[in-house]
Amino acid sequence: MAALSSNLLLLLLMSSLDWLSTPGNGFFMARHDVTSPAPPEPHITECISRDQATFQCWWSPGNFHNLSSPGALRLFYINSLASEWKECPKYVHPNRECFFDNNHTSIWIPYCMQLRGQNNVTYYNEEDCFRVENIVRPDPPVSLNWTLLNISPSGLNYDVMVNWEAPPSADVKTGWMRIEYEIQYRAGNTTKWDALEMQRQTQQTIFGLHVGKEYEVHIRCRMRSFVRFGEFSDPIFIQVISSKGSTFPLTLVLVFGITGVLILVMLIVSSQQRRLMMILLPPVPAPKIKGIDPELLKWHTIIHRRGPDKFQLENKGKLDDLNFSSTGGGLGGPPTYATDFYQDELWVEFIEVDAEDAGTGEKEDNQGSDTQRLLDVPQPISHHMNIGFSNAVSFPDSDSGRASCYDPDVPDQDTLMATLLPGQPEDGEVKTSPAPERLLIRTQTAGPQTWFNTDFYAQVSNVMPTGGVVLSPGQQLRIQESTSGTEEEPQQGKEHKGSEDSEEEKEKEEQFQLLVVDPEGGRQAAESNTPQMFAPPSSPIPGEGYQTILPQPAETEPAATAEDGQSPYILPDSPQSQVFARVADYTVVQELNSQHSLLLNPPPRQSPPACRPQHPLKALPSMPVGYITPDLLGSLSP
Amino acid sequence: MMHGTIRSVSCVWVVWVCLFFCSSVTMVGAAPICANAQGGCHVLSLANLFDRVIQHSARTHGISNNLHTEFEQYFMPSKNHIGRVSRNCHTSSILTPNGKDNAQRMAREELTEVILKLLVAWRDPLWHFHQSMAHHHDFNNFSSNKALEMSNMVHELHKGVEKVAEKMQVLGIISNTVSSLVSPEALLASDSSEWRPMRDYDLLYCFRRDSNKVQNYLKILKCRIIPEHGC
Repeated sequence: MAALSSNLLLLLLMSSLDWLSTPGNGFFMARHDVTSPAPPEPHITECISRDQATFQCWWSPGNFHNLSSPGALRLFYINSLASEWKECPKYVHPNRECFFDNNHTSIWIPYCMQLRGQNNVTYYNEEDCFRVENIVRPDPPVSLNWTLLNISPSGLNYDVMVNWEAPPSADVKTGWMRIEYEIQYRAGNTTKWDALEMQRQTQQTIFGLHVGKEYEVHIRCRMRSFVRFGEFSDPIFIQVISSKGSTFPLTLVLVFGITGVLILVMLIVSSQQRRLMMILLPPVPAPKIKGIDPELLKWHTIIHRRGPDKFQLENKGKLDDLNFSSTGGGLGGPPTYATDFYQDELWVEFIEVDAEDAGTGEKEDNQGSDTQRLLDVPQPISHHMNIGFSNAVSFPDSDSGRASCYDPDVPDQDTLMATLLPGQPEDGEVKTSPAPERLLIRTQTAGPQTWFNTDFYAQVSNVMPTGGVVLSPGQQLRIQESTSGTEEEPQQGKEHKGSEDSEEEKEKEEQFQLLVVDPEGGRQAAESNTPQMFAPPSSPIPGEGYQTILPQPAETEPAATAEDGQSPYILPDSPQSQVFARVADYTVVQELNSQHSLLLNPPPRQSPPACRPQHPLKALPSMPVGYITPDLLGSLSP
Repeated sequence: MMHGTIRSVSCVWVVWVCLFFCSSVTMVGAAPICANAQGGCHVLSLANLFDRVIQHSARTHGISNNLHTEFEQYFMPSKNHIGRVSRNCHTSSILTPNGKDNAQRMAREELTEVILKLLVAWRDPLWHFHQSMAHHHDFNNFSSNKALEMSNMVHELHKGVEKVAEKMQVLGIISNTVSSLVSPEALLASDSSEWRPMRDYDLLYCFRRDSNKVQNYLKILKCRIIPEHGC
């Protein structure tokens, strides 16, 4: 018995599960807005009519498993035509179904269902009432098939016509049921169905299907102006395979074509990159003022000697507006312009030195102030020294600016002759020179290209008594003066000559620099009476740069004697081999020698005092770089 | 000369009158001919008329369905279907076929009459329903407009079915027993005060059923008479 009951229970469970899976579960619940879970007591699960002429009802025993056996529950119905509850006309027990045939079906009248168990226990739900026309759910349409309508010219899309037939159970011929259909389709790999519009005909066109894809189509129907749909039909599959594989090569061709074009463009761009860059981004040309005559740019500096210790510098040029400093650097001209201006050919045409004024004896007094005055341009001084510079500036053609170590500002007159210090010797020479003498110093560059690291200005390193000025340009020059030049030096005293420089270069590397040397080697002393000083364009001796030398009084005499015809000029032997190097502009005066010349490089003690003034300088130890300040001047004065 | 013109004119007039009457006589069974051919009028065929009427009835039924659903949502009436089972709509007195067999067995004239009766019976109740809805502030304008539309549609539907009946009688499809006059039963149903105490919800409930009946009967009639198109 226990086994039997357990078997029955199992059977019941399985049947209930099977029954629960039947469609239409929750029909009555779905009818109302509130979806409540299945009630535990026996209840009617669903009533459906397929053809609006018959209908069926299913029930469930709920949790009352003892009532699940056939016959335990009985279904009763009532309608407006009947006056009492009637039992189900036909049971289908395996399904727990009650079937109402035509004779027992009336449309447009309400029916109510009831379940009764043993002992007239009634399980009744008021909601289980309906009218048959409201529970109609037609069967799915049949004979679903499709035909190809057309393919798009691109061969990628096509249209199909789907047609079907009304379900046989639905009597549409007599018009008893008016049905509308709904087609749904989807691509093979998607899960979402696309629904088309309700259709009253038995055919429909599906547009825009893709070639090569597989589509799944199914259909369902419902009564017109009613809500509930019937079941879906079995799906059919639609697929159109492109013939000749026309689409495949087309896409391939497109892809390859575009790739090839892209590669070609890239090659062209990469090979002609420079040209393209030139075309697209042309370089900005540097301004060239081609109309300017370099001759016009020549200017000269005039050193006016106002006193034994006083000098005044003045720049004069052919072009009045030699405001290169203001224009070149300030107006936004290419900075290279200004630097080139200073770096390139710096021609010092002449330096006029007027030895008018007899230097007063108070060198010491005036030394400090002389420097000031020297630096102070506007003070008129009687002693007039003209130093003419011809600055032939050749504007560079190239755009690249040469790095200039120098301030592109105007060659300050002060700085130009900053180290020009009138020393004691003005007395003699000055006095002895009744007439203003002019020292013509021409500095000539070895060449524009080789004029490298050249200062714009040249320092007058010494002034000869005769009025000659020894210039020392910025860089160290390896001065190889001719001995003749050196011989002239003792006559001129302390002047610094290229020969001296050659001696210097024998000395130490750090010796200072440079004298006015004519790289051309031409002696111009024979030309005129005016002494000429040549400033060598380059200083091969790397070193500290300028050295200032105070012209000693004793040197003025040689300078004076130079008036006799000896031109205090020094000619270097071979300036061409000079190496240009950066030299400091200033140096510190170390001491004064016996001849009252400034020793920028104090010579060793063993050097004879009769040495030319250059010697002590040459013998100087490593020259410090610095300025000669008035203090130093004062301290150095003998 | 004057006599000649008068005679010719009178002759033309006589001929024209004869033609007019003859055409009206021969209209039966012949292809429909529009009296003013040059006027641009077009005669509707019976199938076309039927289609229009059926479409109209379908729309009426749809609206009644919507209104009924709205009422159910708002008012949640008692689900006393049993009570409703016993309760009758005011058109219950009109005998209507309740099944497919019954409907198919019914004669065309009877069927047409039933349709007309139903439509007549609902004219006044729907009008009053609309009035009561307009006065009720519980309903929004949308529902009120639907009620008005429903009332109008029933009115038009009645006229349309009348025309169809006339056409059918003209065509000899049905006998002339169907009178365009309102039958006494319909009058009785419409004049009876049974529908007055009906609540709005019950009225809609009843009308939804009856509009479905009308739609169904018309379709059956049409498919019986003209089975070619859309049956």
